[in-house]
Amino acid sequence: MITSTEAAVMPEAVAAPARPPRGPRRRARRDRAGYLFLLPWFIGMLFTIVPFFASLYLAFTDYDLLSSPQWIGLANFADMFRDPVLLKSLKVTFVYTFVSVPLSLAAALAVAMVLNRGIKGLPVYRAVFYLPSLLGASVAVVLLWRYIFGLDGIVNAFLGWFGIDGPAWTSDPDFALTTLIILHIWTFGSPMVIFLAGLRQIPVMYYEAAAVDGASRWRRFRSITLPLLSPIIFFNLIQSIIASFQTFTQGFVMNNGGGGPANSTLFYNLYLYQQGFNQFNMGYASAMAWTLLVIIAAFTALTFFTAKYWVNYDN
Amino acid sequence: MRATGIGLVASPALAACGRGFGGGGDDAGDGVTLNMVWWGDATRAEKTQAALDLFMEANEGVSIKIEYQDSGPYQDKLATRFAAGDAPDLMAMRMDSLREYADRGALLDLNEYSGAIDLSGLSDNASTLAEVGDSVFGVPAGLNAIGFVVRKDLAEQYGVAVPDGDTWSWEDLAAFAKGITDASDGAVYGTGFEAQTLANIVVYTRQRGEDFFTEAGELGVTAATVQAWFELIGGMRDEGGFPPAGFFEQIGGSPDQSYIAQGKLASQIIPTNNFLGYNAACGGNLALLRIPGETQGTRRGQSIDCPHLWSVASASAHPEEAIRLLDFLTNDPEASLATGTTRGVPANASVAEEIKDSLEPDDQLATDYLIALQGEELPRSFTYPPGGSAVFDFLDAIAVEVEFGRQSPADGAAQFIEQAKQAIAG
Repeated sequence: MITSTEAAVMPEAVAAPARPPRGPRRRARRDRAGYLFLLPWFIGMLFTIVPFFASLYLAFTDYDLLSSPQWIGLANFADMFRDPVLLKSLKVTFVYTFVSVPLSLAAALAVAMVLNRGIKGLPVYRAVFYLPSLLGASVAVVLLWRYIFGLDGIVNAFLGWFGIDGPAWTSDPDFALTTLIILHIWTFGSPMVIFLAGLRQIPVMYYEAAAVDGASRWRRFRSITLPLLSPIIFFNLIQSIIASFQTFTQGFVMNNGGGGPANSTLFYNLYLYQQGFNQFNMGYASAMAWTLLVIIAAFTALTFFTAKYWVNYDN
Repeated sequence: MRATGIGLVASPALAACGRGFGGGGDDAGDGVTLNMVWWGDATRAEKTQAALDLFMEANEGVSIKIEYQDSGPYQDKLATRFAAGDAPDLMAMRMDSLREYADRGALLDLNEYSGAIDLSGLSDNASTLAEVGDSVFGVPAGLNAIGFVVRKDLAEQYGVAVPDGDTWSWEDLAAFAKGITDASDGAVYGTGFEAQTLANIVVYTRQRGEDFFTEAGELGVTAATVQAWFELIGGMRDEGGFPPAGFFEQIGGSPDQSYIAQGKLASQIIPTNNFLGYNAACGGNLALLRIPGETQGTRRGQSIDCPHLWSVASASAHPEEAIRLLDFLTNDPEASLATGTTRGVPANASVAEEIKDSLEPDDQLATDYLIALQGEELPRSFTYPPGGSAVFDFLDAIAVEVEFGRQSPADGAAQFIEQAKQAIAG
């Protein structure tokens, strides 16, 4: 459902068109070739478009998967406001997004800046730091995480050296979401790689000139790095918010598909899945999916709106 | 996995790598191809295939296309296949999903085929498991119950006598548990099980003279019983016999990884068909006891359960062949010899007796436990109403709230009843 915002955020990515061939016949031939290359995309789109509109229709029906859908108008949407579990899942998702996205972007930027200082073996370090983001949403790593944060896990053993009696990180409802947020922060790899590419594009002469003028490190960061990097930060921010609102695997694996303990890791998408597939309320689940789309669109629009105050596009 | 899924040791870790199954209609030549699906591991598949080979030998022209995967994705896939109008002929059906499917006409009423399938060999306790009104929508693929296993070696080491498993009370359990924890100085907890596992609280509810779900498909359990259950566990926890809040981090998992095999617990509740695996993991030191309170309660609490049912889709193009296969799996001793106890004790009592001697000793013990239980007067249990799986979700959340003291047992119980009633009412 979510289309990439890449083109919109990075105007420089839009390449200037090649000089068009002259004559209508030539143009037709050129177009045919173009559509031919697009064909796989069109075929692929069918598999997206059809379920897309099917779910829009189902959102207004009572559909239990086994009997045919019954049109009920807006009842599913009205029910959502009265569903305490849904409100709980929204809260979990919001807390997760608004805590973990800024922290993981900060971590990504910090590591990118360290790596940008021209250390030897950069590709190796880059790969090492990128690796977790490939694995972070995978079942194996979430399980590994469960062991690291287990009652007798590494984290509690470490805390034990300082005389701290660590909590039950994964089974205590007060800590389970925190544990997942830490996992998310650790998977800062893809924004980091993008930050790194952005940092490399900042001309060194700016820093040299600033250093000559006696600017401190912090000053150089504030006045050169941040403004010139702001389009990249903006891009990463939007990508991360969108991805984070759709979190599923972490909550699913942490507590055997239940979003526990006590629904403390019941992400919105996890609850949607439970409604659709465990409780046979596919109409309600579809309504939830479309509501999530609206929520994500609203936050993306809000971020775009604020962009003019802090994103710097003139080079 | 959930309360009724007792009897299978499935890890959600496999959730992402289940075997796909799809497309059932590739009839080979002029014969009939049945599509049969279940959840389970490769060992179960091997044993099942052996039985199916016997069936195909005896039934020329019928071939069987099997598909299996882990229980979580199985559930999703099955629902999706029904939605797509591509239902399998014969399928494993979870107890708590039965009415979700049956009430919507998706399953075949076996009573309409009573000439083709003989269910007279099943005990009343077994044959009523899939009964809804006057219809029968499935046959237990095997039978199990829950049992209490106790580590005899730990009891001996800490000088605590193992109580008499037929007559012990919940107080006896608490005393035993406290004794172990005290004597081991907290290294081993005397007992531990999950408050939110439906199979556990259901037995306790029945002992108090209530049905968790009533015959009319309503919630029968009262707030007082749920509160007493929370307080029973909370009391043992306060005394030290039961582990502190947050101790149970990993639900499910294999017997080898269980807390009792690791020596962190001296006793716990297991599905009886897993006894072989658990006893092996515990070095053969387990005693199999009944659930406490069976002789002190208003009535018996234990019931015969099944890891899953076999059901036939009402949309099956080959219902007769599917039913013939189901009859074979249920009533032919050769079939049960091939499958063993992978899905519990054979539902047909005489088949169970017949294959018992060929089983391993631990399996025989569990089988005896079940055969004995079936011979006793147990109050009938009623199947889950639609919405039953939501009831489990509520119980799961509230039990944790109570475990961590975020809600009192009384408040938690009241909230559970309110939410569960709402879920069942739809």
